[in-house]
Amino acid sequence: MRQSAGRRSTTAWAALAIVLLTFAVTLDALAQPAPPAKESAEQVCKACHEPYFATYAASKHGTKTDQRAPATRGGCIACHGEGSLEHAAKGGGKGTGALNLSSKTVSPQTKNDVCLACHKGGKRVHWTTGTHAARDVTCSSCHTVHTNHDPTRDKLTQSETCFKCHKEQRVQINRTYRHPIREGLVACSDCHNPHGSASPKMMVRDNVNDTCYACHMDKRGPFVRTHQPVQEDCSICHNPHGTTNPNLLKARQPFLCQQCHEPTSHRGNFATLSGTSTGANTLARGCANCHTNIHGSNNPANISNERTFRR
Amino acid sequence: MHVRHTARLTGVCAAVLGAISGAYAAEADFDPTKPVSKVTGGIGYATDSARRFGEYNGLTNEGVYPLIDLSIVRRDETTGTWMRIEGRSLGLDNRSALLELNRQGRWGAFLDFTRIPRHEPYTAVTSVTGIGSGTVTVPGTFTPGTSAFELKTTREVLGAGVDYILAPGLDMSVRFRNDHREGNRIWGRGTTGGGPPGTFGNFEFTPEPINQTMRQLDVLLSYSGDRLQLTGGYYGTMFNNQFNQLDVVGGVAALATPGTTAFTPLALPPDNHSHQVHLSGSYGFTNTTRATFKTAYATARQNDTFPTGAAVPLAPGVGNNLDGKVDTTLAQMGVISRPLPKLTLRADFRYEDRDDKTPVVQFFTAPGSTATGVNEPRSIRTTRGSSEASYMLPYALRLTGGIEYEEKKRNTSDVRIVSYREKTEEWSYRVELRRSMSETLTGAIAYVYSDRDGSPFITTTQNGGALGSNLIAPIHLADRKRDKVRVSSNWNPIDALNVQFFADWADDRYSGRDGSGLGPRKGEAYTYSIDAGYTFSDKWQANVWYTRNKTRADQSTCEAASAAGVCPNTAADPTYNASVTNESDNVGIGFRGKPNARIEIGGDLTYSDIKDTYFQMPANPPGNAVPTSLPNITTRLTRLSLFGKYALDKRSGLRLNYIFDRFSTNDWTWPSWVFIDGTRLTQDDHQKVHFIGLSYYFRWQ
Repeated sequence: MRQSAGRRSTTAWAALAIVLLTFAVTLDALAQPAPPAKESAEQVCKACHEPYFATYAASKHGTKTDQRAPATRGGCIACHGEGSLEHAAKGGGKGTGALNLSSKTVSPQTKNDVCLACHKGGKRVHWTTGTHAARDVTCSSCHTVHTNHDPTRDKLTQSETCFKCHKEQRVQINRTYRHPIREGLVACSDCHNPHGSASPKMMVRDNVNDTCYACHMDKRGPFVRTHQPVQEDCSICHNPHGTTNPNLLKARQPFLCQQCHEPTSHRGNFATLSGTSTGANTLARGCANCHTNIHGSNNPANISNERTFRR
Repeated sequence: MHVRHTARLTGVCAAVLGAISGAYAAEADFDPTKPVSKVTGGIGYATDSARRFGEYNGLTNEGVYPLIDLSIVRRDETTGTWMRIEGRSLGLDNRSALLELNRQGRWGAFLDFTRIPRHEPYTAVTSVTGIGSGTVTVPGTFTPGTSAFELKTTREVLGAGVDYILAPGLDMSVRFRNDHREGNRIWGRGTTGGGPPGTFGNFEFTPEPINQTMRQLDVLLSYSGDRLQLTGGYYGTMFNNQFNQLDVVGGVAALATPGTTAFTPLALPPDNHSHQVHLSGSYGFTNTTRATFKTAYATARQNDTFPTGAAVPLAPGVGNNLDGKVDTTLAQMGVISRPLPKLTLRADFRYEDRDDKTPVVQFFTAPGSTATGVNEPRSIRTTRGSSEASYMLPYALRLTGGIEYEEKKRNTSDVRIVSYREKTEEWSYRVELRRSMSETLTGAIAYVYSDRDGSPFITTTQNGGALGSNLIAPIHLADRKRDKVRVSSNWNPIDALNVQFFADWADDRYSGRDGSGLGPRKGEAYTYSIDAGYTFSDKWQANVWYTRNKTRADQSTCEAASAAGVCPNTAADPTYNASVTNESDNVGIGFRGKPNARIEIGGDLTYSDIKDTYFQMPANPPGNAVPTSLPNITTRLTRLSLFGKYALDKRSGLRLNYIFDRFSTNDWTWPSWVFIDGTRLTQDDHQKVHFIGLSYYFRWQ
């Protein structure tokens, strides 16, 4: 349908007005530029440290609804310090203000204080008086912060972190008899609290035995017939990290048993591969071929020498 | 990523994932500031049956296995609520899964499941029946097995937990774990006497049935303030065993004599439970002085019904359970202070009293020469204290000196067959020089000297007062002097190269009972390790390591000592020494690379060569017989693991895995052994398996 001349004229004037108005607004904007919005500290850091920013933002540290998280407490500055602003103002570079938590020249205590400002108490309540803190281990020695998947907190990969320092255990977990650490079914932190504990060897529970009982309560007893070292410390006989002796024993029977037992009766017998009766102390289950309930027996009788763990 | 997609993606095969991925191919790149989810599906093939390789993963037989992994991570940006669903090895015997939901800074909850199999590497060829039940039937005569029985245990662990922040600095957590273990394990019964030619005596194969549940409950309330942090709560455990005895039917006469002298039933672990209340804390007195502490009280009980049967007569006055009770008290405190910027002082004190309050009862009334017939509760009281001072010297050197004391007091019975002393005391002195905070080189050298002795050994006497054997000081009670040296260094000559060296030596010297010269004599252990890592570029890295370690224990004993502990020391029954050594060489090589934007590759090789030696030598050569040393055992373990990832697009790709695992040994523990019932335990001494896996992964946000 054809438009009338009046309507065409109105349309033209309206179009012209819009163009002029747009032009005027544009000129005004160019003539009086508004000051740029002040960038947040995070945005300033992101400009140069994009990958670090992204991994931080995707992690729990970057969760903006948590009032405890760095994201709501100054962003990068919360951990890297006010010096980060100076670092940015100077155009970056090493040693220009920001606290570099991976730098070897920053003291371990300074690094750890950053993390402990928020992560104190709970499982870390014994950190300050623990062995790791005393030996200059830092939080970042073990933990990867700029990620939401810290390998140290994954059972499958955690041991690799521990093996950075604990070389002997690295080879022991591959021995013939071992815990399933390699498969990620048992982790170092199932038994040890690397943040410190009130127990020797930084055990998770209050002593070695209580830690072992978490998975091996069948050995706890107490029994009618108690075997003294079993009640005292599992590690007198066992090396939990792995051995070449069945059942993770520190030594093969009878050598292990002869470290405590008097050589009366058959207990001093040589280890042989051809012994019979009480001489059969090396093959199969060794001394436990007869003394089968070596961790203790709850049998109240002594008809068949149960007091020596035979029934 | 929308929820409906999540539901559709869980537990589907690669083909379906491929179809879905096409729909996303045109979408923009991932937002790197948001978590990524991933699901992987594929198949793997094991070329051989290798029980050592499959011991804990279930890949024991040749065949095809499903490979399914899952990781769904979502964060609601408006509420800070995280949802995590993890599944690992979902198609395998060692599968695990986790469902976690938490509103960060408010509350959290999780449910997890882990299945831990253990396939016994040795296969039983046996005629014993009823394996896994509470009654096994053993042939009465030598009956070689005709069928192979694969022994196995499986743990199914279900965990649940809740965390709740009650107020700023105050939170509560609850953890529950239900661990059910089922299956069977190598076990047996035996007594003196010979057997048919080719057997070793009256030893029968009676596998232990396992049907046990272990439960743990942890309830924690934690407060965290600027100066004070406290954590207290309750920890309870409970053990239930479906079987408290194993009945054995049949067997050879020496073990199956009818009536009260039969070696049946065999007692199995009794039900027990424990309860602990505890409080830990940390307090900062000043910015430079802080103390930590823990105090706890626990009680453990065992009142399961005794095994019953004709061969378990109860003495008069003995109830139907032990009424076992062990109470444990713990008090621990540590202090650290930096009175000067360069000086750090530490101190630690720990007291633990394990008080076995189990009633002492006369369980049998026909005591022998070395038994009185009463049960023997075991109480142990441990007191440990340590202090350490550390001072920063010039050149970034730090000198540390420390001293530690540990005292253990143990109870005992009047009549024993093992030497005993009431108290052991150990003093340890430590000095360390450490260089830290250097850009290129850090290191430490430490020396520790320990000296353990104790109260006089109490003379071992027989029931009736006659002198018993007093020749051996048990390894954990004996006087011992120990030297330990540890050296470690970390060298970064350039950013790309890191070299780490570690060495650890320990030397133990034991003293025997009253100069008998018997028992543990000497111990030695060392570990040397060197690691090197090199970063060729941001796309290529490699590392290599080598570790050698050795442990040796020297001990002495004698054959056929008299009841009073006099060694014959004759040609037939000599006094002899044994030296038991374990040494190994271990190598590891690894690399990771990203040749281009689509491809990632990597690999790890580990190899261990382990040798166990068992020397037995007469103490008085050449007059006395020379006991034959046992053959060396050599074990070699090789594992090569390679992977390659190819990205089809931003969201999806293929992953190829290859594992080569080789196990070889000449271990003589079982190959020549035959139970008197005819059972043999066998394994392939040279196991080799290739595992190839191809999987497809799909990622989304």
